[in-house]
Amino acid sequence: MMLIAGTVPIEGMPLTFGTVSAEGGYLLVGGQRVPCTQGTGAMVGAALATTGYLKLEAPQALLAGDTGQGQGSRAIYEYLIENVAELAPEVLALHYWLPDMAQTRLLCAAIEKCARRPVLIADAASMYSAKAAGLATDFDIFTPDSAETAFLADPDATHPAYVRFMLFNNTEKMPELIKAAYEHKNTAKLLLVKGAVDYIVKDGKIIATVNEPDVPMMEPIGGTGDTITGMVSAFVGAGLEPHEAAIIAARANRMAGKFAEVTPATRAGCVIDQLPAVFAKYLCEWSGVCATGGVE
Amino acid sequence: MAILKKGKGAFAGGGLVLFDEVQEAMKAENVLKKAEYPVRLVAPPPELRRGCDLAVEINLVEQPGIERLLKQKDVCYLEIRPLKGRDAGILEIVRVTDFSDWLMVKAANMKLTFEKKSGKIVNTSGGGCPDIPVMHAELLEKRVDEAPRPADIGYTLCALMLDRAMEESRSLWKAGGGA
Repeated sequence: MMLIAGTVPIEGMPLTFGTVSAEGGYLLVGGQRVPCTQGTGAMVGAALATTGYLKLEAPQALLAGDTGQGQGSRAIYEYLIENVAELAPEVLALHYWLPDMAQTRLLCAAIEKCARRPVLIADAASMYSAKAAGLATDFDIFTPDSAETAFLADPDATHPAYVRFMLFNNTEKMPELIKAAYEHKNTAKLLLVKGAVDYIVKDGKIIATVNEPDVPMMEPIGGTGDTITGMVSAFVGAGLEPHEAAIIAARANRMAGKFAEVTPATRAGCVIDQLPAVFAKYLCEWSGVCATGGVE
Repeated sequence: MAILKKGKGAFAGGGLVLFDEVQEAMKAENVLKKAEYPVRLVAPPPELRRGCDLAVEINLVEQPGIERLLKQKDVCYLEIRPLKGRDAGILEIVRVTDFSDWLMVKAANMKLTFEKKSGKIVNTSGGGCPDIPVMHAELLEKRVDEAPRPADIGYTLCALMLDRAMEESRSLWKAGGGA
């Protein structure tokens, strides 16, 4: 079972757990309608598009409304801490929430008690809290952008706003940042750095880069990084190795942007809508997944 | 399932609110606890000691919301500092990318993009705190000089960085929309 946990921008939405489905441009989880927009919604939407194409079990989602004051975030932390061993997900992908170092420590301790440890993926603020709590190496996959990679490389910063230096999209310097992040033990085992060039890094070594197709107008679109993480989670859940999942997700995201002919005003949902067509055309060539129903 | 109460369990904040006077520190703790922020009174480390020997530890990510509340409640504080990287200040650098009809302004992990011709915000991206998707929905299709400031409606450092991007966007728009 793949479980995605994160907050959604719906004030007062209670902690909700269930299988994800889609209806009329919205996601349905436990009777709640969630927009497929920037943040956890886009991540879940991309994961669902991927499992749907592969005819695999739909993702499970643990969601709560949070508009920034942390109530929903704390509900998610506490539910996971109490129940993760019983839920026993094979993949646990953590996303938007209010970073809380103490709760993250408790969650990682709870995960250690799972009979079978899940593949642990973090993006967005769950990645911030993992790094700030000194627990990055407990995670299997991080999916930062260039600014967040500078944050991972800074041994002291507890949030990207307090990074001492920022390189933005200076791709020439990116290998240095990646190296520093690993040296300070501030990153997961596998890193997918999203940017003008996507870097896939395993245990400190850059094992692949993805830069085609080049669709620079994807960068302004809120949610197009979240879609990559959703796809990575789904492909890992489908049985691919984390680095394979990362490479395919990076390629598919770019190609979906090209198919959608994006401009900076495009919404993430338009990119997600293109994923089935991208998979139909390229997934066999990229991955060996040449028939729906799982990895060959 | 019910939403659990805020402030339960362990706490590790990452930021300190510093004060001139002990009474203000105690008042701040009271105000913040009433608003359900997880906080605790601590002794500041010597190198961060400015006024009195009492500080309030906060979750640094919640700095903007906490600053706004303390100002609303007339609590006098000196400054907020990170516990790690104590000489670090909030990042001030912004970078502008020209996409022909649009300008994207990036501040730390946050990006705001507006149309040069109309000044309308067409997208926001980046970040990971829970108020960011809220602001994404709130800001889209509004003109940069008419949209609410993320620093006024947000609660987190991600919101503060989005505010930096908006501030620069407003300057660019005022100077001719970057066209």
